[in-house]
Amino acid sequence: MGEGPLIRIDDVHFGYGRHAVFTGLSMEIPAGRITAIMGPSGTGKTTLLELVTGQLHPDRGEVWIQGRNLARLSRATLFRLRREMGFLFQEGALFGDLSVFENVAFPLREHTRLSDTLIHHLVLMKLEAVGLRGAAALTPAELSGGMARRVALARAIVMDPVMMFYDEPLVGLDPIAMGVILRLIVHLNETLGMTSVIVTHDVKEVLKIAHGSYILSGGRVVAQGSPAELSRSRDPWVRQFLDGAPDGPVPFNYPAPDFSADLFMTGVRR
Amino acid sequence: MTRLFEPVRITLDFLQAIGQRAVFFLATLWASPRALLRPGIVVEQVFFVGSVSVILIGVGGLFVGLVLALQFYTALARFGATSSLGGLVALALLRELGPVLTALLFAGRAGTSLASELGLMRATRQIDAMEVMAVDPMRRIVAPRFMAGIVSMPLLAGIFSAMGILGAYLVGVKMMGLDPGVFWSSMRHEVSFRSDFVDGMIKSVIFGAACTLVAVYEGFHARPSAEGVGQATTRSVVISSMVILALDFILTSFMY
Ligand SMILES: Nc1ncnc2c1ncn2[C@@H]1O[C@H](COP(=O)(O)OP(=O)(O)OP(=O)(O)O)[C@@H](O)[C@H]1O
Ligand SMILES: [Mg+2]
Repeated sequence: MGEGPLIRIDDVHFGYGRHAVFTGLSMEIPAGRITAIMGPSGTGKTTLLELVTGQLHPDRGEVWIQGRNLARLSRATLFRLRREMGFLFQEGALFGDLSVFENVAFPLREHTRLSDTLIHHLVLMKLEAVGLRGAAALTPAELSGGMARRVALARAIVMDPVMMFYDEPLVGLDPIAMGVILRLIVHLNETLGMTSVIVTHDVKEVLKIAHGSYILSGGRVVAQGSPAELSRSRDPWVRQFLDGAPDGPVPFNYPAPDFSADLFMTGVRR
Repeated sequence: MTRLFEPVRITLDFLQAIGQRAVFFLATLWASPRALLRPGIVVEQVFFVGSVSVILIGVGGLFVGLVLALQFYTALARFGATSSLGGLVALALLRELGPVLTALLFAGRAGTSLASELGLMRATRQIDAMEVMAVDPMRRIVAPRFMAGIVSMPLLAGIFSAMGILGAYLVGVKMMGLDPGVFWSSMRHEVSFRSDFVDGMIKSVIFGAACTLVAVYEGFHARPSAEGVGQATTRSVVISSMVILALDFILTSFMY
């Protein structure tokens, strides 16, 4: 557990069209650990996960996973690598035409030749782990937002991936479900040595279980360290983020022209 | 200055759109053999496409047959040739109206539901989720639907023509009092299996491929939002209708 980085992000630049999201982002995610990635809304946390899973490609810079440069991989190799990844979408992204059970069974049916009995056991085990075994027969439309996210989590871990990416796993969960999910993440990490990357706004909850963490803002890493280091830090970026103060170096607003110029429409036309 | 280059820009955009669709078409063909390894999914899609369109297409065929028989009957009666009614209606249906009208109805019913289904999958990130799970959406979603379209269109066109002939029978025999034996034998006389039936089927297969391809392309590339899904659905009907009519002209000119 915990030797060398599993994922290395090296001076990554990325933008959607002309809107730059990352301007020289570098970080290392150690194997077998829980790493929290925090930052204000819209800084590109989801984008970061999509770069790491090869859904997006950096404009400049490199993403290395298990010593391999993601940009150099063929589609077939990328797909083989992805079988070792679990990804919890912020939106859940459950298949609307499949039941909860079939959603969780989907990766097993696609990638393995396990018998129906075995698939049945595996799926119910994972559903039990997220507390939704009783919901197996429902369709995604019949789930609440929080339930859908827990089903999506069960689907993401059903293949026992080596690395797991959680995009806002705790949003919309009640305190009990939150506790269940946090314990599940720790359990997967401890028993399977699963490398976990958690993108989150729930700073306090996640820092209790994370081994290391990064705070992103303005397209780069503004602070990093273990939870203990962060909570001792006097860095204004860290303090503002951990204490939730509106004023400080972390910009809260999407970049905009001067407000008075916008009000009097003398600024840039859109 | 920019005015002058507008036609150039439009032409380039058009060529680009054609190119993107051609690439998508090739990717679909490429993924199709692997999709056939899981015939269950294709069969499921054939059932889906069939079940949403069969009643519409059956009823449509019946009405077209009724109208055709009425029109032909009055025209033929002037030359005292009403005995060829069955054959003429069957020819019109099998060669032309069956494939074309079925394809247009298909585009409006099955095509739109394919486009909106895929658009919704795009908007709710189901397609992305599949990719991250290392499942190729071209193989798992697009190719089975494409093949289901190819299989079901000729079947549906067959149903359309059969219902149309039934309609013509009702008008000719039951309403106008033609001899049923004359009605059916004129059909045997006029319609050749090789040229008429097979040509019609070839058209249907091609329309099926074109229609589903347009629908899945539009859905697959929908902008990931509610409006995006709506626009994709509308574009899918408009484009596939145009494509069907244009292809019909091209195919017919080759077949005669
Ligand atoms: N598909 C897209 N096209 C254009 N811009 C995008 C797209 N997706 C995201 N963005 C922009 O990129 C920036 C980063 O988005 P991202 O979704 O990565 O943020 P985030 O940190 O995950 O935010 P949140 O915490 O709210 O989920 C945002 O400013 C957003 O406007
Ligand atoms: Mg996000």
